[in-house]
Amino acid sequence: MIRARIRPGTLGLNLLTYLIALLVFFPILWTVLTAFKTEADAASVPPVIWFHATLSEFRAVLDSNYLSYFENSAIIAGGSTVLALAFGLPAAYSLAFNPSKYTPRVLSWVLSTKMLPAVGALIPLIVIYKRVGLFDSRFGMILLYAAFNLPLVIWMMRSFFADLPREVIEAATVDGAGFFRILALVVLPLSAPGLAATALLSLIFSWNEFLLAVNLTSVNAATLPVFISGFMTSEGLFWAKMSAASTMAVAPVIIAGWMAQRSLVRGLTFGAVK
Amino acid sequence: MTARPATIPPRTIELPAAGRFAFLRTQRAASFALIAPALAFLALMTQAPFVLTVWYSFRQWVLTEPDIPHKWVGFANFKYELTQDPIFRQAIYNTLEFTAGIVGGSLVLGLGFALLLNRSFPLRGVARALMIAPFFVMPTVNAVVQKNLFLNPIFGLVNWVWTSIGFHRVDWLAVHPKLSIMGMAVWQWAPFMMLILLAGLQGIPDEVREAARIDGAGPFTEFRRVTIPLLGPYFQLAVLLGLIYILQLFGEIFVATQGGPGTETTTIPYYIYQTISTANDVGASSAQGVLAIIFSAVIATLLLRLLLRTFRTEVTA
Repeated sequence: MIRARIRPGTLGLNLLTYLIALLVFFPILWTVLTAFKTEADAASVPPVIWFHATLSEFRAVLDSNYLSYFENSAIIAGGSTVLALAFGLPAAYSLAFNPSKYTPRVLSWVLSTKMLPAVGALIPLIVIYKRVGLFDSRFGMILLYAAFNLPLVIWMMRSFFADLPREVIEAATVDGAGFFRILALVVLPLSAPGLAATALLSLIFSWNEFLLAVNLTSVNAATLPVFISGFMTSEGLFWAKMSAASTMAVAPVIIAGWMAQRSLVRGLTFGAVK
Repeated sequence: MTARPATIPPRTIELPAAGRFAFLRTQRAASFALIAPALAFLALMTQAPFVLTVWYSFRQWVLTEPDIPHKWVGFANFKYELTQDPIFRQAIYNTLEFTAGIVGGSLVLGLGFALLLNRSFPLRGVARALMIAPFFVMPTVNAVVQKNLFLNPIFGLVNWVWTSIGFHRVDWLAVHPKLSIMGMAVWQWAPFMMLILLAGLQGIPDEVREAARIDGAGPFTEFRRVTIPLLGPYFQLAVLLGLIYILQLFGEIFVATQGGPGTETTTIPYYIYQTISTANDVGASSAQGVLAIIFSAVIATLLLRLLLRTFRTEVTA
């Protein structure tokens, strides 16, 4: 192979790409930097770039009731992901390995539930959740987020399962392994990266969800997006604290997103693009 | 459907050892047992509320007024929303404007980003990682940070830059509320568009580009005649998925403008939220919900057709 000669424009394009990448990332970087400032530095004009870094705002956030919101977010995102996988994996397995003439219809119905706006289901959810005692409960939110992530799990895992060589499953079946053994010992280990990406995406969506969280929780089960929205009126008073809280809320998600990068497009397009 | 390879055993196969799950041995029963719980759960949690929304939308029902009887009022709620309620009409208009602006803006930026990343250069992975990061930021953090650190009229970074280059101070969220919200949302959604379009760009075979070049196409002609047409399905997918999500824009508006000033940034989801949380009107907010569903259903139908086409080609390939 002949190596391409470096064109004069290439260097310029590379520099432009770096510049744009930094510009796109800048708001996140600035938030993280502001989190390490004192409140006086955070709201100073012109902005302070060299400052004495302090952890005091992180400490202030942790001393407030931040941790209870974090705990709610972690339990609700984790619980709903586990529940969505428990319902979704068997369904995806069956749709991938035993397709029938109903498979396309089932798949499109599953996806159609994801296409309708959540706000269209909101009013009955408020009325019913209040009536049956699920309002402002972690369990109620786990149920909801599991249902909202189930289409993602079914579509994405079906697409990963369909990539596996069928012979492996046939061999395991002939050897007498039942569904649960095939799933746990053959199928899931082979599609582990896909499973990890699916779980991460489900965690991310649950972690960031706001509409249902703000309408269906108040004190007991409110999640981080609800807590953060409480900073909306802080006019230059608590910017460092706000940034510290934001940094702690967003950092786990960005790291999870980077970890799921390879299968991200597949997840976002429900397996249509690989 | 293509024919299965001859080595695959027939549909129902004899299995050894009976057990508690013996009923799973027929293929059809097994498939049903594996799929049914998921479908039942999904129907209960997502479809039942939609049906109830329709039911509520025909009723007069205000949560804070227990003395007003809950009665069947036919299409009165719909009639009011569509012909009399000025805010709902404004909300439809705002939603359309936001959706068009955000989908359009993020599509153009996303295509630019994707073209820049679709080359081999040092630190490509790092650049890509930095550029997708905004997509993972929760909408409330996005709004609270942009509203304060960036768009605050006195201490915000944007005005510092703006006045440094000689312009007058602007209260962005008060003077240009739509543009400000669009800016926040485009920052989040451009990476999403970029990812889908980048996948499309990487799927264009080098031979096709080479053939175009041999035929004398310059970079611009190649872009217009080769890249754009071959990206077609990816554009459709990106736009339709973007529409589905961006029609639901809520968190940014809740935090940054509360629908204001006036009703200038009130979207359909935000107005529904207001109708149920401040007016407590179950009937009216349900009617708005039904209209929002109809709105989205049209787009969803188009999207499903597209995704199923991709799915079928994948199965029969």
